[in-house]
Amino acid sequence: MSNLNSIQYFIPELFLTAAILALIIVDLFLKRKQKSIIAYLSAAASLVAGFLAYQQFSLPATSIFQGMLVLDSFAIFFKILAAFSTVIVVFISLDKFRETAEYFILLLIVTLGMFIMPAVNDILMIIIAMEIVGLISYVLAGIHKTDLKSTEAALKYMIYGAVSTGIMAFGFSLIYGLTGHTNLYDIQMTLASGHVNSVAMFIAFMMVLAGLGYKIAMVPFHFWVPDVYEGAPTPVTAFLSVGPKAAGFALFIRFLVTIVAHPSSGAADTFVQNVDIQAPFLIAVLAVLTMTLGNFSALNQKNIKRMLGYSAIAHVGYMVMALVVFNKDAFGAIMFYMIVYLFMNFGAFWILESLSSKLGGEDIEHYKGLGYRDSFTAVSMAVFMFSLTGLPPLAGFIGKVYLFAAVIKQGWLILALLGVLNSVVSLFYYVSVVKAMFLKQDDELAPIQTSLYHKIMVLILVVPTLVLGVYWSPVIEFTTNSIGLFFGR
Amino acid sequence: MIGFYTVLLFILTGAFLVSFTVALSRFLAPTKDYPEKHIPYECGELPQGEAWIQFNNRFYIVALIFLIFDVEVIFMYPWAVVFNDMGLLAFIEMFIFIFILLVGLAYVWVKGDLDWIKPKPRLEHLAKAKGE
Amino acid sequence: MIQLNSFLIISAIVFSLGLFTVIYKKNAVGILMGVELILNSVNLNFIAFSKYVDVHINGQLVAIFIIVLAAAEAAIALAIILNIYRDRANIDVTQLDEMKH
Repeated sequence: MSNLNSIQYFIPELFLTAAILALIIVDLFLKRKQKSIIAYLSAAASLVAGFLAYQQFSLPATSIFQGMLVLDSFAIFFKILAAFSTVIVVFISLDKFRETAEYFILLLIVTLGMFIMPAVNDILMIIIAMEIVGLISYVLAGIHKTDLKSTEAALKYMIYGAVSTGIMAFGFSLIYGLTGHTNLYDIQMTLASGHVNSVAMFIAFMMVLAGLGYKIAMVPFHFWVPDVYEGAPTPVTAFLSVGPKAAGFALFIRFLVTIVAHPSSGAADTFVQNVDIQAPFLIAVLAVLTMTLGNFSALNQKNIKRMLGYSAIAHVGYMVMALVVFNKDAFGAIMFYMIVYLFMNFGAFWILESLSSKLGGEDIEHYKGLGYRDSFTAVSMAVFMFSLTGLPPLAGFIGKVYLFAAVIKQGWLILALLGVLNSVVSLFYYVSVVKAMFLKQDDELAPIQTSLYHKIMVLILVVPTLVLGVYWSPVIEFTTNSIGLFFGR
Repeated sequence: MIGFYTVLLFILTGAFLVSFTVALSRFLAPTKDYPEKHIPYECGELPQGEAWIQFNNRFYIVALIFLIFDVEVIFMYPWAVVFNDMGLLAFIEMFIFIFILLVGLAYVWVKGDLDWIKPKPRLEHLAKAKGE
Repeated sequence: MIQLNSFLIISAIVFSLGLFTVIYKKNAVGILMGVELILNSVNLNFIAFSKYVDVHINGQLVAIFIIVLAAAEAAIALAIILNIYRDRANIDVTQLDEMKH
């Protein structure tokens, strides 16, 4: 579709761009006391953008801007997820960044990047989208300019990010050289029909995996995770663990079903590899490594933020595990898990953020006896922890069941078994938080008074975690409807 | 390829002439070595401090801003190539692009990063880190 | 006529030098230079393939965008490094150990 005709299908992104520019200009005229308006406006802007994206849900799948981007339900699902996670993060960070208007504008720019990332259909757009999300994330991680930990986190994030995106771009240049196309659909056609050297393709695949693996924090590209998660401000950590990761998974799936594989016999549910490069086996090994390393490193962490960082690696492992089977069951399971993960992870991080000043820190030590000081928050935290472990009847359990079912159905029994064993290991460190909160303490501490805002936010996040554990069919229906991948120019 | 032999001849002649004159002056000129000859400025000015000095931070900030606005010009070359074919549409597109850049410039201006003399120098962190 | 292989060898050498710089250098700005080398090798690859393999000029377009992205990345990285320097008075990445446990 030509450029001018495409603009009508690009309204959410255009709206976001206009909102970003307007907010930058408005910010210049505001006094210090009025800066919190920007926060509310950015939440509203991302909500409207998500709604505009939802409006496109019923449109027929097509490619826009001469094959640069696609408009399909798969991309729209991740756009809505991105907008939703930005709204929640704005409310999580409202207290800390009330006077830092730039923070909220930068969040909106990342949202714009996350809107483009799942919809890419060209090597050029992949690189641009990755850089929009990446560059702004570095700034967000270092937004506390005078905090040593924050700037250190930003520098580490930036160095790993820059190198892995560079390697990924080199891999894409090799793919371009092997096929002579930058359009993903053309690449797929050339790879599926022509005689492309499988060794060269394997090397390119590994190089691209470095960039994608970095974005979703997969072993062996995970080294930045613990330090960045601990050093960055808590709201930013929460955002990085959900928003850009979801967009990264969307990009990973898009990469797998176009460059690595093509749909077998037309629009079937399964995909076969374009060139035989042992991709499923490789992904299976990386998935097992990812979850094992994440879970075992989390075992003896004292800082809960750092522990959640390692546990985030483990959760990436579970999701990557489902990718080995290359079919729509697996993609649906990952999308469902992403929704569940959004609620439980944001919940845990919100409690960390809002209690850190009252408890004096984010170590497990500080949470001792919380159950007797603020039972509502402690019970909610326990719900989030058990849900992250994957215990029934919570949402995390259902998410994991779908992931494991997709893998078992295709006969990867050992892989699923290793995943279940890993979940058992994860129980130890999640329970250690719950144990600290509810074991009787020698010294009685005064009860904590929390604001109404804190309670409402906890409720908003804990209710879906509980409800999705017993009644999840509408959500799984929504995700199943969303797996419409468009192939074409 | 024949044309390149001329170039080769030029290179050889040039190399020979330069090395010949340098060697000639080496043989003919008297050599007297005294310590002042090793000072960077031979006109009698003694160098103060080291050559590796640290520049003021403001140079970096101005250089960063310059870098961004300088590199964006690269987009105008392909635009200029197709301008004739696309006409008014390309004109409007470039104005939108420049407007977005101008918003960035306005931001930098209002936040005071273009002022050479900052109202509030933030030197207290540096002093703390150096342990003073 | 220069063969495609010559370009690929040069770009592979530049890429390896960039990767080596990133691994070897302790100075944050030095690491940034390595990243720029990697991106330049990518550009060289894209332009060479665009001339020899592709019938269109898609590769050259990608190269233009990568140049701009590299500049943006350098600007942000230098800003972060400047913040690090203001807080610590050095930019040695081996001394960034605020969070070692």
